[in-house]
Amino acid sequence: MLDRLKNYCNCISPSGCEDEIRELIINDIKDYTTSYEVDRMGNLIAFKKGKKTPTKKILLSAHMDEIGFMMKYISDEGYIYFDIIGGIDPRVIGGRRISIGKNKTTGIIASKAIHLQKANEKGICVPIEEMYIDIGCTDRISCEKVISVGDYATFQPNFEALGDNFIKSKALDDRFGCALLVEIMQKELEYDTYFAFPICEEVGTDGAKEIAYNFRPDIVIVIEATTAGDIVDAPKARHACDLRSGAVISHMDGGTIYDKQLVEFVKKTAEENKIKYQIKNVIAGGNEASAYQKGASGARVIAISAPTRYIHSASNVVYNDDLFEIKELVSALLERGFENA
Amino acid sequence: MKRKYPRNYERNEKYLERLYELACKLTSIPAVSGREDMGMQQLAELCAGYFDNYEITPVGSFIGRINCGKEGAKTLLLDAHFDEIGFMVTEICDGGFLKVVNVGGIDPRILSASEVLIHGKITIQGIFTSKPPHLQEEGESSKPMKLENLAIDTCYTKQQLEEIVKIGTPVSFRSTVERLQGDYIVGKSFDDRICISAILRALELLKGKDLPVNIAVQFSGGEEIGYKGATTSSYRIAPDYAVVLDVTNAYVPEAPIYRKGIKTGGGGSISYSAQTNRPLTEKAVAIAKENNIPYQLFAEPNKTGTNSNAVQTSRGGIPTVLISIPLKNMHTANEIVTLSDVLEVSRLVSEFALSFQGGEINVG
Repeated sequence: MLDRLKNYCNCISPSGCEDEIRELIINDIKDYTTSYEVDRMGNLIAFKKGKKTPTKKILLSAHMDEIGFMMKYISDEGYIYFDIIGGIDPRVIGGRRISIGKNKTTGIIASKAIHLQKANEKGICVPIEEMYIDIGCTDRISCEKVISVGDYATFQPNFEALGDNFIKSKALDDRFGCALLVEIMQKELEYDTYFAFPICEEVGTDGAKEIAYNFRPDIVIVIEATTAGDIVDAPKARHACDLRSGAVISHMDGGTIYDKQLVEFVKKTAEENKIKYQIKNVIAGGNEASAYQKGASGARVIAISAPTRYIHSASNVVYNDDLFEIKELVSALLERGFENA
Repeated sequence: MKRKYPRNYERNEKYLERLYELACKLTSIPAVSGREDMGMQQLAELCAGYFDNYEITPVGSFIGRINCGKEGAKTLLLDAHFDEIGFMVTEICDGGFLKVVNVGGIDPRILSASEVLIHGKITIQGIFTSKPPHLQEEGESSKPMKLENLAIDTCYTKQQLEEIVKIGTPVSFRSTVERLQGDYIVGKSFDDRICISAILRALELLKGKDLPVNIAVQFSGGEEIGYKGATTSSYRIAPDYAVVLDVTNAYVPEAPIYRKGIKTGGGGSISYSAQTNRPLTEKAVAIAKENNIPYQLFAEPNKTGTNSNAVQTSRGGIPTVLISIPLKNMHTANEIVTLSDVLEVSRLVSEFALSFQGGEINVG
């Protein structure tokens, strides 16, 4: 799973430009699915026949897109002004390297040297509209040969093992979910299952809205990465979740109050299979479950999440064993089926 | 990609590639100020071949000498600092986090979610924490960021970490050298390793030439924390003249207007200052002109913020020239220079060394 996760994380596929990741996923699933399709908006949906056909339509979802940047303006001096795609804390942007467009041109988000800062600028984060990207061009014309207004970018690919069995990368949110769905799809399934890879989650869960309308699932399980606040000096009561503490099950987040019976069903399945899990203790984050819940005539939804530090930055951090606990949990749920859930 | 080069700039792929190679090797050596010993062996191995002999001083400087073999020859000192900004561990916290203080001037705005190397018993990676939005207080994002509110996440347990790291362990930025458009490159610690590259390249240009002066080179330690290496190694070398090479902030949007005079791609910046010697500076400018080497002029009357004063006031006074390579994003993990400037500075330094006919010049 880790090799696959690395390839997925290293794609440059922010919201609205998911081509690269979609091609990779299709390549990985085409020999294992019963059928798959890419809808007119770019969402990828696969169907895999199981041993049995359930009475309910079960859909697993992991969004393909990631946060990123879009090029807005090229100045006479050859610098590129930009906006963010999705939600990124301006504090994690300054001084980072990014990869721009199809050619993956390297750019640096410039940061004025500490020696040039006025006293009232010290330590104060520059607003995004005043930040600019340096690609090594010194005039507009040479820059326009490489970059066009509207080009997209992400943080530079940086997937790596770290510390005691941890992983660091951009875009673990939600390439982790994509990799997990593909792994699950490569095995025999007990029940017929749909697998959705929606686009544009980071800009308003748009892809999932379209899928909800077109496919009308009864039960949706969203696999995602969620923010973990277990950093030094943070009170335990505000961690939301902790790394090394297993799969995260949420009752509620910024977008959704999850189906009560499903939450209990997932907890019970985890306990019976001795799978490590934790309950999210802060209302934070959100995902495409909200779109499925209120799409068409509605679906029952649940989210199972990987606790992730520094989500929506260049360096998301996850604990390897947490990812495997989630894989176990999702496998156990699919094995059991949702007939009695 | 085509770009316009400064007047008479001789583009030579082979030379540019050589400078790029030197920059990659030199910036991969860790040497946080005050702990230069951590990388001294690597530096010595890389540089030893350039010199007749070399030594390492107790204050973290590398000194190499090339004798011209002429009786009564004067000695020209070339200085670039070897140390880099970084951090030092002050506390090992629960959960495998490290608290650190800065060594040299660090901008806290660029740290969140950035990568570092922790040089303990073994070298491990770390990531500066960034506070998730749900932990931030209302209005927090408009307040100044402070290093003391951040920590380094090592992804080890505290117990594991205590085996590797101690209070006082140095930490450096983690970054690789990469080519940008044109001849621009990006990396960490170009302040001042890029000037070490320029000096080594200058020595390559001087190889086989009839040197009129002895050359002493100091790759000095402790510049970022008070010019300690340069102060002591210039004393030890006792040169007759000196050229200090450092980087300077190139013009970027929002910088003070007077910075517009210093552009990347415009060649080395030669400084006029009370902390440099004016006649020797005029000589450097004249040599640049004679040899069609692009250069820029910069005026910094009182302080240069470089080793120039430490060198110039050594012993009974050593006439010193300061030449700087224009650089963007100084003191970050992504400093940007253009190889064309490095090339021009290496040419200027070698021509300057060759200009000491008879070994002596009148410096007023």
